[in-house]
Amino acid sequence: MSTLDNWYPYLAIVFVMVSVVLTRASYWLFGHLVPLPDNVRSALRYAPVAGLVAIIVPEIMPWEAGIGPVFDLKLIAALLSIVLFQVTRNAVVLIIGGTVALWILRTWLG
Amino acid sequence: MSGLKATRPGLIALSIWGIVTGVAMVKSGLTEHASIAMSLLVYAGSAQLTSLPLIAAGAPLWLIFAIGCIVNLRFLIFGAALHPFFQSMSWPKRLLLGYLTVDITFVAFMPKFADSHNKGSTEQRWFYLASAVSCWIVWQLTSLIGIALGSIVPASWSLGFSAILALLAMVLPLIKTRPMMISVFAAGATAWLGQPLPMKLGLLLAVIAGIASGMWAEHVVKNGGKGTA
Repeated sequence: MSTLDNWYPYLAIVFVMVSVVLTRASYWLFGHLVPLPDNVRSALRYAPVAGLVAIIVPEIMPWEAGIGPVFDLKLIAALLSIVLFQVTRNAVVLIIGGTVALWILRTWLG
Repeated sequence: MSGLKATRPGLIALSIWGIVTGVAMVKSGLTEHASIAMSLLVYAGSAQLTSLPLIAAGAPLWLIFAIGCIVNLRFLIFGAALHPFFQSMSWPKRLLLGYLTVDITFVAFMPKFADSHNKGSTEQRWFYLASAVSCWIVWQLTSLIGIALGSIVPASWSLGFSAILALLAMVLPLIKTRPMMISVFAAGATAWLGQPLPMKLGLLLAVIAGIASGMWAEHVVKNGGKGTA
């Protein structure tokens, strides 16, 4: 906790802010100078999704140091929420349904 | 004020998102001060939510920066599409409007004006500004509510998990083509296997695997099996 209370999170926040400003505004400012070729466009389509998946997977399918892969009930809850989304196509249902599912699973099985 | 009207359906989703992000920031260990600063300065749900596990793990700042850039790369495509409408404005205005661009504003704006011959009219710019500002206000208010909730609600309610589900809700609608499916699978497998690597390097490898496999699959689909083994 002590590191989180000091300068590190604020520095991290500034770094994230700069990344957001760079990606959002760069084309608005310099778009007339830089054309966007088709293969770059296609790479740009896959990168954000891959980045999001790379954050999600270790959260629901974690490895523990020195042990290797461990099972977490979050995986079941996440799979249930995916099914809910496929049925309803509603992001709010996914978020609330998955959260409640984990809560129930942890209460009964945890 | 047609900009407000077109944005309204998105504002409900944005509200839920804001609350979830607000709660997630506090639950990840950020102080209320830091959470408010993040909400005001960063103003980007996906970048905020992806950076939280990294900040909680004490990941190096360059990696947090890199991942922030990666999840926001879609805005380069948005920027390329929006550029013709705003290129004659002064650069501080373009910087501000570009920074305020969120998915909902883009989605409200493009179908309405993409085919218009006169790109850059006053009507279009007011529409954009009204949409962007209303998103900003709703996001900041609901984030504050989330930050307040996060300090009250006990950890056993597993609301931190809601943030991961919010990211999942962002990914699923984007998996529409087979190349995207292959890209997601490759990125996911790499991210899972790469967890023992130091400094969260598995994250960057997963992004590279996702891009490479997606582009490869696109290439194979385009050639329709002609000659490719």
